[in-house]
Amino acid sequence: MEQLPILSLITYSPLAGAVILFLWANASPRAARWVALVASSISFLLSIGMLIAFDPQRSGMQFTETFEWLPELGIAYRLGVDGISAPLVGLTTLLTLIAVIASWEPIRHRVREYYITLLLLATGMLGVFVSLDLFLFYVFWEIVLIPMALIIGVWGSANRVYAAVKFFLYTLAGSLLMLVGIVALYQEYFQRTGVRTLDVLELAQGHYSQTFQFWAFLAFFLAFAIKVPMWPFHTWLPDAHVEAPTAGSVILAGVLLKMGGYGFLRFNLPLFPDASRAWAPAIVVLSVIAILYGALMALVQRDFKKLVAYSSVSHMGFVTLGIFALNQPGLSGAMVVMLSHGFVTSALFLIVGILYERAHTRELAVFGGLARNMPVFTAFFGLFAFASLGLPGLSGFVGEFLALLGGFRAYRWAGVLGTAVVILAAWYMLRVFQRVALVRAPGEPPDPDDPELRLAAAHGVPPVAGGGDVEHPPLDPRTFPDVNWREALTLAPLALLTVWVGVYPLPVLRMIESTLAALLATVTGTGL
Amino acid sequence: MPLRLAAPEWSLLVPPLIIVGTIVLLLAIDALVSRPSARLMLGIAIAGHVLALGSLATIDWSRGATTFGASYRADWFALVVALVALVAGLLSVLVSAGYTESGLEPGGIGQAEYLSLLLFSVLGTLIVGAAGDLIVLLLGLETSAVAVYALTAFARRRITSVEGALKYFLLGAFATAILIYGMAWMYGLTGSIVLSDISHTLRTVVTPGQPLDPALLLALLLLTVGLGFKIAAVPFHMWTPDAYQGAPTPVSAYMSVVPKVAGFAAMARILVQGLQPLSERWVDLLAALALVTMVYGNVVAIAQRDLKRMLGYSAIGHTGYMLAGLAAFTTGQPGDRSVGSVLFYLFAYAFMNIGAFGIIAWLQERGLGTTLDDVAGLASRAPLAALMMAIFMLSLMGMPPLLGFYAKYYVILALIEAGQLWLAVAIVVMSAVSAFFYLRVVTRMYFEEPAGTWQPARTPLLGLGLVVMAGVTLALGLVSGPILELAQRWPTALT
Repeated sequence: MEQLPILSLITYSPLAGAVILFLWANASPRAARWVALVASSISFLLSIGMLIAFDPQRSGMQFTETFEWLPELGIAYRLGVDGISAPLVGLTTLLTLIAVIASWEPIRHRVREYYITLLLLATGMLGVFVSLDLFLFYVFWEIVLIPMALIIGVWGSANRVYAAVKFFLYTLAGSLLMLVGIVALYQEYFQRTGVRTLDVLELAQGHYSQTFQFWAFLAFFLAFAIKVPMWPFHTWLPDAHVEAPTAGSVILAGVLLKMGGYGFLRFNLPLFPDASRAWAPAIVVLSVIAILYGALMALVQRDFKKLVAYSSVSHMGFVTLGIFALNQPGLSGAMVVMLSHGFVTSALFLIVGILYERAHTRELAVFGGLARNMPVFTAFFGLFAFASLGLPGLSGFVGEFLALLGGFRAYRWAGVLGTAVVILAAWYMLRVFQRVALVRAPGEPPDPDDPELRLAAAHGVPPVAGGGDVEHPPLDPRTFPDVNWREALTLAPLALLTVWVGVYPLPVLRMIESTLAALLATVTGTGL
Repeated sequence: MPLRLAAPEWSLLVPPLIIVGTIVLLLAIDALVSRPSARLMLGIAIAGHVLALGSLATIDWSRGATTFGASYRADWFALVVALVALVAGLLSVLVSAGYTESGLEPGGIGQAEYLSLLLFSVLGTLIVGAAGDLIVLLLGLETSAVAVYALTAFARRRITSVEGALKYFLLGAFATAILIYGMAWMYGLTGSIVLSDISHTLRTVVTPGQPLDPALLLALLLLTVGLGFKIAAVPFHMWTPDAYQGAPTPVSAYMSVVPKVAGFAAMARILVQGLQPLSERWVDLLAALALVTMVYGNVVAIAQRDLKRMLGYSAIGHTGYMLAGLAAFTTGQPGDRSVGSVLFYLFAYAFMNIGAFGIIAWLQERGLGTTLDDVAGLASRAPLAALMMAIFMLSLMGMPPLLGFYAKYYVILALIEAGQLWLAVAIVVMSAVSAFFYLRVVTRMYFEEPAGTWQPARTPLLGLGLVVMAGVTLALGLVSGPILELAQRWPTALT
């Protein structure tokens, strides 16, 4: 094909940056930051170009690249994107760029190595989304593991090594089973057709027996379920998030979890349609548990970051609910929730990171009253908190509404339960917003003009201060400076996207629609 | 009838003869020159390997030519075994550079003796790979093994070295005895020592699905047990951890690979070529051995604190994976990936395992020990060394896109194509288990602060060797096609 290999360029421009930094042994931290910024910007701009050139009317693969790699085994270098992967590629390059900027000041030791790792991670993630060969996909899927574990383990907080190893072993165990599934699928297809191939699109044409589908579905499912993560495979996630540096959490929540949802859409549904239908009720049950469990756990957290981490479990429950509702609103909802979660939760992790930079703690009880001295911060925080709890007009609402609609159509009880849980989300999100931005900080003297205090005094009730038992030494959040230009730069694009998708989701829906319709047709045999 | 001796076809013997010539040269220089320079000796050993590797190109392997009757064969299988053995030998020489000079072992290490023994072992492995009958095979196997027994004891003033060697030697001799006994039975039953004749005779007496003649079964068991000792399959592995830990580190590197190459080559020659009509039996036998071997090696490795010992147990685990590859044998027709996957695995294993031991030798030269504590914080002290060690560890674990992943992938592919799904799943589960101990090395290197003192040392050859091994481990997987293709031509040689 005589066209620009744009997907390869997007995928490998971060890698090129990593190689430059690797070879440039005495690069100063400043130089390392700039190299990473340039590399991730190039990747980002190219992906914008790709999204603009993307034809939403077509359901097939676009920008495909193919060349032989190990022909004897049917392995080839095949890339391409459709309506499912193209937006995720865009999300990945954007969040990588944001992660580079967000690490600018917080990362102070081994800066060069840090950016090498981060850029390597970016290439791995992009490769996952653009690969159309199962072997290639698996290679990228596993490449992601090492840099992520390093980012947690080297640049994380106190308990980092434990979290890094746990993350690594969990996801490795899952993906190794997928490897067996891949080889079994390859062999099964060969026996049916006499063709050796690992081409995802071609493999999806084989009609496999029920028994084979049942087991192969399970092998793939476990790898993706751990990545999403679905309850009860989620236990690595809170640890990983809490210990990771801010940019690590951003990437983890924004992109890595999406790899699981993407895996379901790209592999489980089209390759094993019968098994997908058979397993769907069980997975919907797990999804509803995840939604409920994540929200309840978020409710009781005292650590800000852990709260956001558990809310992730809950949000990703909507994704799996939407996917395995196996209808059009469900699938669209799942895609939009994935994107929206990428904007909103990543932004919330940035918010936590900004607070941590100032207070060196994430304990919710020490904060309070930030609205007064950090108005810009509070505005951003408020926006993302509302988006996270699913306020209409923001991106979270669109996705969750569609996912729940799909869930409701397929399993009435799941829709009802899921909708009820949204109230919990409002509860924990509003509470944390109030705690951090509005009420008085524990170290702060009471304001004599506070009407609430006067009222309390009049009734003989002791004045209420925030917090309760605080383990952290008292600090005065009123001294915190507001967000600087660099922090604002990381939050602004996410805020924009959150509002845009919330108000005018049509372009996004249009982009994913025809691909999802085709996918649905293969799974249910009906189409939209 | 007058005895007529056919002249051997010398052209087929060029690679082993080059090795023999190198050995003679090394010993001659040592005897004639009063204090030969270590660099010169190393240079000769390296040149010998390189020449022998180059000479492989002069032979037409596709012909499957034989000489000395049918005792020596030059076929595809012999080529790949020779390739792996020579590459592994060359890498081992590179890893030895510096260590032998550094005076790390009490009493020092004699360059000429050390290098010539190493070459002897490579020579033995070449012969095993090319063996056409049981006697030549045994000769090759023992040439390879006896040299390694001596190498293990090379740090003769260190008790652990002598102890490891003694254990290795006694059990190895025991294994040889069992092997010879098995060969004797096989000869008695079939009336031939030539592998292809044995196969031919067996085909006429064995009917598939019928119970086996007990005598034949006994011969098969004796052969399997004898070979099992050579490759350190459980439960015949007892010598491995002590020998690996006790031997000088470059020797550990060497013996983790080349004797294994010899052992698996012997196994393929005997079982696949000679006893193919019995494959129904030995496939099950090997599958069972593979399972216990990989489980035992990987599980016990978790408890090890000494890196050399850990790699010793992990080597047992890898033996299990390779045995599984052999157990994927189905028909011996083109398309059967069993032996090919094992050959590729050995090739990959040479780079990553010698590399891992090389890093340990490199650390020892800098005054550190061989335990897990000694690698702590290596990443901040020597980033490149840590990176290379991480590459080796992750490759041994089977992480894509590293070479070890491809090796495991081909074995798994062979197993699934042979319908042995359970063994493929076992490999996968054991890979996850092995992640515990390989990853521990990586986490200690990267996530901890350095401890202990650090002496500067300069060994460019070792450094070069390590960079080559790490580079190959990192990148060769992407272009593994040609080697794999070469390895997959084995059916024309063995059937």
